Amino acid sequence: MPTLDDEFLVTLLHEVGDSFAIPPAGPSAILGRVHHDDDERAGRRRSAGEVGRVGEGAEGADSGEPAPPLRTARPTVRPTVRSTVRSTVRSHRILTAAAVVLVLLVAAGGAAVLGRGAPKTNSSGLNAAPTTTSPRTGFGVAHTPAPTKAVGSTSVRAGAAVSAPPLSAPATSSAGTASNGTSKATSSQNAAGLGADAIGQPARIEQTGSLDLRVARGAVSATVDRLDALAGANDGFVATSQTDSGTSGGSPSGTVTLEVPVASFSAALEGAESLGKVSQLTTNATDVTAQYVDLQSQITALEASRQQYLTIMTRASSIGDVLAVQAQLDSLQSQIQQLQGQLAVLGSETDYSKLTIGVSETAAPPHHRAAAAAPSGLAKAWHDSVHGFVVGTEGLIRIAGPALFALLCLAAALLGGQLFWRRLQRRNL
Amino acid sequence: MVEHRLEEWLEEGYAGSFRTACLILGNRADAEEAVQDAFLRAWRFRDALTSVPSIKPWLYRVVVNSCYSKLRQEIPHREHRAGDGELAERMASASDPASSAERSEVAGVVLAALQRLPVSLRVPVVLRYYADLSERDIALAIGRRPGTVKSRLHEARRRLADDPGILQLGAGGALDDSVEA
Repeated sequence: MPTLDDEFLVTLLHEVGDSFAIPPAGPSAILGRVHHDDDERAGRRRSAGEVGRVGEGAEGADSGEPAPPLRTARPTVRPTVRSTVRSTVRSHRILTAAAVVLVLLVAAGGAAVLGRGAPKTNSSGLNAAPTTTSPRTGFGVAHTPAPTKAVGSTSVRAGAAVSAPPLSAPATSSAGTASNGTSKATSSQNAAGLGADAIGQPARIEQTGSLDLRVARGAVSATVDRLDALAGANDGFVATSQTDSGTSGGSPSGTVTLEVPVASFSAALEGAESLGKVSQLTTNATDVTAQYVDLQSQITALEASRQQYLTIMTRASSIGDVLAVQAQLDSLQSQIQQLQGQLAVLGSETDYSKLTIGVSETAAPPHHRAAAAAPSGLAKAWHDSVHGFVVGTEGLIRIAGPALFALLCLAAALLGGQLFWRRLQRRNL
Repeated sequence: MVEHRLEEWLEEGYAGSFRTACLILGNRADAEEAVQDAFLRAWRFRDALTSVPSIKPWLYRVVVNSCYSKLRQEIPHREHRAGDGELAERMASASDPASSAERSEVAGVVLAALQRLPVSLRVPVVLRYYADLSERDIALAIGRRPGTVKSRLHEARRRLADDPGILQLGAGGALDDSVEA
């Protein structure tokens, strides 16, 4: 491919270049501009140094010297960084939009990562494992009278606040199986949907639970004794207790029903869970505040009627009137006593929580099999190795997604930055 | 003495910078403004000279940058301003009328051929064959790799060899068939 000779090009360009006459005022104009710039800078520095001195002007800032000849042609607009960036953004709108989207994606990803790292609700205790079987219905359940331990409304409220969901919330339920095979269920029911503040008195929460415990062979009786002690330690008592020693051929088992103050329900549950392996856990919390208030208001109304009948009784002049009024009074008294009984039962049920615990022995064959299958030596090392491999693979898969996202973002940012930088370089040259 | 250095710069570099800018811009007034801006900019950033191995490519880099800025700003006016008046001005500055006529004709053809080159090729050609910068110094001046400079120079020479104006000047004998690496 033919090209021009270097010497020929040198000759040509020198001939053309040397034909341009040097402007005689060029160097002096540059010197003048440099002087002018230096004077301006010195003036600005002096002005900045004399800020605050009222009445003293900065000498030199307005020295009166004529401005040097700046340009021989029209002035040019010197591009600034801002104008360069603005023009670059204007000419690369798609790239700029992509950069903005990328920044938003990175911000959203960061927020998601931070949100994922936030602490979750503790799954232990009554809040995470409150469970249900079926809500209690009616008030005619036989109930052992509560001991005369007064449970103040403050402690009841505290217990309700800890163990029950907000009263204004709708009834919710959830059930699941834990990873260790323990069946757990939880539910909370709001009977009337009334808030405690709405009715002017503390919430009444009826709380029950049941627990199936697996204990070691021959430890059923001891566990029942410990449950008895646990009830006493939590200011409660054993409502019922039944133990089967296994003489009929089955394995020994027992069932204990504890009644503990609502405030101590969570502690009693945790204490019971610590006595063996939990195979099933069920708790139930029901808001009966509305029913409690309804009973109270009915009793109040009946007592008001009874008082009026008593007033009428004092004015009765004939025996017939007295008998008629007495019949009404008896009827009212009966109703009042019935409602008061229901109120007492309801109050007791909301003051004390019932926890039913079934105790049974751990099945022998699986235990023996587990003991026989317990790895040791090379087998244990092999199992540990496989477990480590699985854990490592899980970790890799877990971080692959975020890492891929981060790599994509980085690649996009690098690409955008490179294009932007090239554009800036091109414009600056 | 700092001011003395600026005068030294001007004395040593103004003529070359101005004519280089003229060849790049093809316009005397723009070249004068560009060189003025370049020297002023170089003077403002003279502290950067401590980290520069040689002042000549650095100064030419500033001049080239000013020329690029001028080209971006003056594109709508450049064709209008670079007209016959420019050549007439050069003719007027020559002392020998016969010689000046011949030189102005050659200069006009070469200048037109240069202006037909894209800026990315024109600048290396001017820096190499007029300002006599090495390829490495040109790479420093335009912020590209020496290999890029070499390939651009080759492409510029090829285009100039195909330029009808240059061919009319009798460049047939100056054609080099060897393909440079």
